[in-house]
Amino acid sequence: MNGASATGGAEPPSTIEATWNRFWFTPADPGPLAIVRMLTAAVALVLLASYSADLDAWFGPGGMIPADPRAAWRAPFSWSLFDLTRSVGSLRLLFGITAVAMALLGVGLATPVVSVAAPILWASLLHRGPMLAGPADDCVAVLLWCLAIAPSGAAWSLDRWFTGRTAPPRPSVRGRIARGLMQVHATAISLATLLAQLKGDVWWDGTAAWWLAARADSRVVDLTSLFARSEYACNLVTHGITAFEGLFAVGIWFTTTQMPVARAGLVAWPFIGLCAGEPWWGVAMAIVCIPPACSR
Amino acid sequence: MHGAASGAGDAMRAAVTVALGVYIVGLVLAVLGNGSSGASALVRTIKSRLYAPWLVPAWLDLGHDHHLTYGLPEDADHTIELRATGGDAAAALRLPGRLTGERAARWRRLAAALAPAAVGDDPAVALTAAVAAGGFDDLATEDVTLRVLRRQLPDRRELPLPTGSSVVTSARVRRVGGELQLIKADPPGEVAPLVTPATPRPIADEATP
Repeated sequence: MNGASATGGAEPPSTIEATWNRFWFTPADPGPLAIVRMLTAAVALVLLASYSADLDAWFGPGGMIPADPRAAWRAPFSWSLFDLTRSVGSLRLLFGITAVAMALLGVGLATPVVSVAAPILWASLLHRGPMLAGPADDCVAVLLWCLAIAPSGAAWSLDRWFTGRTAPPRPSVRGRIARGLMQVHATAISLATLLAQLKGDVWWDGTAAWWLAARADSRVVDLTSLFARSEYACNLVTHGITAFEGLFAVGIWFTTTQMPVARAGLVAWPFIGLCAGEPWWGVAMAIVCIPPACSR
Repeated sequence: MHGAASGAGDAMRAAVTVALGVYIVGLVLAVLGNGSSGASALVRTIKSRLYAPWLVPAWLDLGHDHHLTYGLPEDADHTIELRATGGDAAAALRLPGRLTGERAARWRRLAAALAPAAVGDDPAVALTAAVAAGGFDDLATEDVTLRVLRRQLPDRRELPLPTGSSVVTSARVRRVGGELQLIKADPPGEVAPLVTPATPRPIADEATP
């Protein structure tokens, strides 16, 4: 990659190079990333709350999931700060630190430090009990790492308020890189989900929505009576989910379609999450849509 | 002066481009290498040698293959039942029981992770023993029976919807002389006869505390 040509050199940049530079290195407004930061921290706190009541039962001394990095259910190279806790007190302290880090990230206080600490603590918690983690946890991990790269406290933060800055925050390349990585990850998640679904007959014969609704314990909304009455409604929801995932993975990359697709994602992803019994996954995916939905 | 600054900027841009390229290749390998269909030896080798050491600790070695459902029994909701071996069923711990939301979802994921113990999956067997041992204090005994129950997934034309469960995994876990022992109970059977539309019996509801 010849950066000189992109900065006014004699030779005009190739189309691929110019596109790459424009996508990754055009300074971006930190405002949308501030919204991503606040919402991601809020979702992380909700997900953390789901651990809190059972923390001792799962991870405490004599708990159901022993702290052993070499345990059969742990991946090679997995590492967790929570493995170091040897008592209920230290476990709760580290969990509390994680919650405080998320709260500070949410309000934007000490952002340069907590934006790096938050994903490390989050990954540590997930590694401590990997079988407890769901798709929403994965998405939050991705979002937190992207926020660690970005100057996510540059707008709408207590950091900014305390320093008394009144001028609008300057666009930054780091923010652009973080937004680009979110977009790449959103595409990967959408495509991988779609490809995994298309391996199952139920996504072709239009009955997948029924099988999601039929899970009496994990469903969030009960659509069984609607789908039992109308096969077409069941087919429509099933095909609608796969069609949107495909549309999202492609449409997010084209200037003309990016904003409408991202704005549709703000509604469609939570809807898919509700249908799938994974509402926070839907919310996390909607958060990824915020920067492109705000772009002009 | 301007040229030097531009040169430094170009060097930084080139370094970031290389880093992004390396990361995006890692992301692609993570998706390819973590799918339910398995991965080629080439993908597994490159990923495990070059990427896993830093993607795994960061919780970024993710397949993202959330198929949501295939309509198979494995996609149904799972629950854990722990009771003192030979003890009263009414005193059994049922998880997630009446819990709701993400907290209940985590218990269901744990239960689903135990299900492969029925076919001798090593991580699931080890986890089953650990989970059962974790219930020793609550049940005030060091000899417990753990069962993983799987909710029935009713067909769309099956009304009223049945609410039965089947036993996927059943194991007795005890501590003898400080050593944990797991004794698989087989064959796993139904908790109750399959419920027909004519005679619905809310078996799973009875099993809920």
